Amino acid sequence: MIRFDKVTKRYPGPGRPALDHASLEIDKGEFVYLVGASGSGKSTALRLILRELRPTTGRVHVAGKEINRMAGWKVPRLRRQIGTVFQDFRLLNNKTVRENVAFAQQVIGKSQREINKIVPETLELVGLKDKAERMPDELSGGEQQRVAIARAFVNRPMILIADEPTGNLDPGTSVGIMGLLGDINETGTTVVMATHDHGLVDQFTRRVIELEHGKVIRDEAAGSYGFQH
Amino acid sequence: MQLRYVFTELRNGLRRNVAMHLAVILTLFVSLLMAGIGILLQREADRAADELGDNLKVLVYLCTDDDPSGSDNCASGEVTGEQRERIEQELKASDEVKSVRFESKEEGYKVAYEQAKRNGTQGPFEGRNPTVTPEKWPAAYWVTLKTPERADGVISALEGLDGVGKITDQRKTLGQIFGVMKVLRYGSWIGAGLLLFAALLQVSNTIRLAALARRREIAIMRLVGASTIYIALPFLLEALVTAVIGVALAAGGLAAFQYWGVEKGMAEQVTFLPWVDWHDYVQALIGYFPPGIVILGPALTLIPTLLLTRKYVKV
Repeated sequence: MIRFDKVTKRYPGPGRPALDHASLEIDKGEFVYLVGASGSGKSTALRLILRELRPTTGRVHVAGKEINRMAGWKVPRLRRQIGTVFQDFRLLNNKTVRENVAFAQQVIGKSQREINKIVPETLELVGLKDKAERMPDELSGGEQQRVAIARAFVNRPMILIADEPTGNLDPGTSVGIMGLLGDINETGTTVVMATHDHGLVDQFTRRVIELEHGKVIRDEAAGSYGFQH
Repeated sequence: MQLRYVFTELRNGLRRNVAMHLAVILTLFVSLLMAGIGILLQREADRAADELGDNLKVLVYLCTDDDPSGSDNCASGEVTGEQRERIEQELKASDEVKSVRFESKEEGYKVAYEQAKRNGTQGPFEGRNPTVTPEKWPAAYWVTLKTPERADGVISALEGLDGVGKITDQRKTLGQIFGVMKVLRYGSWIGAGLLLFAALLQVSNTIRLAALARRREIAIMRLVGASTIYIALPFLLEALVTAVIGVALAAGGLAAFQYWGVEKGMAEQVTFLPWVDWHDYVQALIGYFPPGIVILGPALTLIPTLLLTRKYVKV
């Protein structure tokens, strides 16, 4: 589903590359933690998957396509197969919960009939059916992140990318979010989650890929967080 | 594609940035109006040159009793038959002259009277003691030249002859009018150019602000895979709306210029020139070269919008 072949990403300016000959492969339906200290290259890896960045050298394959060579006009189609969740939720504060989730469907041209069907289903999945007409600032952090996950999942993507999704949440709420990501993974969606939260990684044991200075230094099928910082 | 979303965004965009949009519309209005006037004046110059070009004549007025020109040639008063013959011989001998038509005092007076009546300035022709009478009106030769630009030879040959009063080269008289129109035309072009540049800057500024106001939406749209054209569409429509309003105002202004400035203004003052008409007005709106304001306005807003949105909403 996702493959990096000796990927190096160098940003303009001096200093070492953000990713340094990194190779990894993630299969369909896997749940993978991407761990490592700040600056280890986790976010760069995620942005390469989204084709927000192109590698300096090496190749990135997503959903069977070599995306570093993909023409610009094909990128939106790629992104429709990838859902994204961030630490800071990134909700639209002038739209209700339902509108926030529907927005992701409207802007890719889904019909109103489809939207009316799938948005309530998705809100039910994330446990926010009763709060569909609330505004984001009326929700707790955990609920806001659930809205963001609903928005990422509403197009039923093949891959869900989560960049520190529990970074702003308390431990109890984080467990709930992990459960939700687990449920989404159960539907066959590949989940790649970058995190600093060693408690969660140790509690919900999954495959762990650890990065350090842009290199893959560990790849364990059922790993632990593995380092303290 | 969900057009409802696009139109909602368009409405929000127009409302959010009213002052900026008004500034763009006003600048577009004035600049396009000036460009339109420039086009009309250009067409006027072409039309006058086309229609008059070879027909411009040299008028040789013959002396009257108490000739107003005060020329030495008229010292003996009214032109005599002998003097006329001499003048005619001179004209016929010249290689430059294509044809000559004689206009008698009565004919000349009649034409002038008709023209004065049309302009409502027939006062001196009428009344108990009119100041202008057929007797006081000079007879004239209307001389058509082979090359109207080369009138000097004929004029200098006739200037010294007895019985020749005033000589008028229509090309020179028109030259002054054309000179004024040329200044107006270039003034319009330069003014229009500067203002259109200002409009361009305002359009880019508006887009920058709009993109900033919508950066969160745009970021999400890009992430969930909205196409570039879908993201850019509200911006393009905003630009189109301002362009349409600007063009409509300019077209109205230009129509007013054509009606009051040309038809009811200059055309009534200067009757011997062919003037631009509504066909030329339509060309100033939708002509290809120079591009009419209906083409110019949208192009000047849509092209920078396309270029800039590509920058701001790049996937």
